[in-house]
Amino acid sequence: MEVRTVEQASGRCVSRGFLLAPATTLALAIALIAGTTPWVHAAEAIEAFPRTIVDDEGTTLVLDAQPQRVVSLSPANTEIAFALGAGDRLVGRTDWDDYPAAATAITPVASFTGVDMEQLVALEPDLVLAAGNFFTPPDDIARMRELGFPVVVLYAPDIPTVLTDIELIGAALGADEAAAQMTAAMEAQFDAIGEAVSAVETRPRTFYQVGSEPEIYAPAPGSFVADMVTFAGGDPITTADAAAWSIPLEELLVADPEVIILGDANYGVCPGDVAARPGWNDMTAVVTGAVRPVDDVPVTRPGPRLMQGLAALARAIHPELELAAFPPDPPLCQDG
Amino acid sequence: MTTTDLLREHAPVRQGTFEALRHRPVVLGLIGLVTLAVAVVAGIGLGSVFIAPGDTVAILARELLGLPVTETWASAHQTIVMELRLPRVLTALVVGTGLSVAGVTFQGLLRNPLADPYVLGTASGAALGAAIGVLLPIQIAWLGLGLANIFAFIGALAAIAIVYRVAGGGGRSTMTSILLTGYAVGSMLAAGLSLAMYLSGSQLRQIFFYLLGSLAGSDWQSLAIGLPVIAIGSILIMSRARSLNGLLLGDDTALHLGVDVRRERAILLALASLVTAAAVALAGLIGFVGLVVPHVVRLVVGPNARLVLPLSAIFGAAFLVWADLGARITGELPVGIITAVIGAPIFVVLLRRYRTGYQL
Repeated sequence: MEVRTVEQASGRCVSRGFLLAPATTLALAIALIAGTTPWVHAAEAIEAFPRTIVDDEGTTLVLDAQPQRVVSLSPANTEIAFALGAGDRLVGRTDWDDYPAAATAITPVASFTGVDMEQLVALEPDLVLAAGNFFTPPDDIARMRELGFPVVVLYAPDIPTVLTDIELIGAALGADEAAAQMTAAMEAQFDAIGEAVSAVETRPRTFYQVGSEPEIYAPAPGSFVADMVTFAGGDPITTADAAAWSIPLEELLVADPEVIILGDANYGVCPGDVAARPGWNDMTAVVTGAVRPVDDVPVTRPGPRLMQGLAALARAIHPELELAAFPPDPPLCQDG
Repeated sequence: MTTTDLLREHAPVRQGTFEALRHRPVVLGLIGLVTLAVAVVAGIGLGSVFIAPGDTVAILARELLGLPVTETWASAHQTIVMELRLPRVLTALVVGTGLSVAGVTFQGLLRNPLADPYVLGTASGAALGAAIGVLLPIQIAWLGLGLANIFAFIGALAAIAIVYRVAGGGGRSTMTSILLTGYAVGSMLAAGLSLAMYLSGSQLRQIFFYLLGSLAGSDWQSLAIGLPVIAIGSILIMSRARSLNGLLLGDDTALHLGVDVRRERAILLALASLVTAAAVALAGLIGFVGLVVPHVVRLVVGPNARLVLPLSAIFGAAFLVWADLGARITGELPVGIITAVIGAPIFVVLLRRYRTGYQL
């Protein structure tokens, strides 16, 4: 029998991400997640360091020993590290890392303006978990590498990649087994939600409101949020193309949403505000009172709570849905 | 009668505490150099991480002077001093110098007190270039400069080249027509920038911070490219201070003084644009330095470019090093905000003090 090398073991993370990157349609993603699982399981993975990691941007790096001083540069990375039991090895975070509560005690080293390089250098990290797609400024990533820090860049454009990212972080932290357990559990949850959703006949036209001031912000076609709406049993109303963030009110009126999800409910927008907007009264969702707030963080943050987010979204689209495994969220907008 | 005499005669009577300095430019220069030295020391000594002053001195002594100092400090601190703070402070110094010298030149050439290094479309050109550099789906770093920086440099020079050509070059065109053409071309490029930002999606933040200007990305490599351009450009401008003085008096007077108006104007425009483009490539669009520092210096010593150019270089460098230190210790506030917040009140106070008269 052939001996599995480190490269092969870590390469699986990349190959799966690569395969699944275009999987933005319901059918393909479900087939890949529920059906064949080509990757190896934790028992086979090699626990020892040094090991080679290939990140989401294709950068290869070698970690000589299990990282003990880790800087996480996105809220999702921080949540994943904590969920994998490595929270005590985190020494730096961003200003927005708010979950779990213990994360807020870690030194913040990155803000809206980028990474505070002095602080980062002073922390002497032996692993940096950065975020791709410009969340961590590319210049800062280049600089950290220039200064000799091992940087793993993570970016999940779709739901399957969230799972590979969890395994990638698990591999980098030497927490392979915990990561495999977590992704297996999430896959089971995903299947359970999918099953419940497929039992419902309707696919209501769903407008997930990302924001409403000054323009109406909607998910782009093929975006993470649009995928989430699809998996939650809705027919997402999206912007015109992948580069557009906003949708004109006229187009939204023509699309006539049957359900409006308030992804900005955390920021003070409630169903009452929507009904008060001129022109919105004609939409089916407003007429039937199907305007429902949702906690956007688990829905949009590519971390361990993603399936809770998906369940909440599925409930918001199909209030009649039975999802016993998922405790209902505390209600938002009680006064509105 | 020399240019300087002419200028002196025209200079109005001033009153104020700094009156004594007016005829002592050397003293003023020394004050500037001391301010700059203190700024550099503070800039290397302070930051978001505390490093004991003794350690900072020891690190510098060993790394720069090669003194046999025993290493008693954390290696992270050495990285912070040598790889982050030192190149950053020196970049601030160089950019501050460049912007101030270019500001003096543009104000003099255009005979317009509102002129700054960005007036002839350079800012919009650089910003549009940087935005395109950010948006292009390729990542190239050439000698430590990212695509955005390289495109900003090209954009700034391209903008001013277009303005110069459209306005009819150094020929019949007056400086007013160059100024207005610069405004028109700048507006067009700014519209292009807005479009690029609108379409930029997740890269918007990067473009936005480029527009605010920042020295956070400074490193030795980019400094090694920017420093010679700005230093040589500034020295060449200073060597043409006489021409600039002549042009300040108007084209006809300059001609009578023996200045080849068309040639000198073209050379000075080119040099100032080159210096501006290099500064913009290093640090993005840092406003206010190139507008206000020359005015403050002129308020004190009068309009003679022979004095205004070197003094602006010194005070501009000191001002930007201080402003960047302010930006760093306030948690990376964009340095353009600091320059305006500190610079505007100083400027207004000085204007009031010298309200009896001020001329370019």
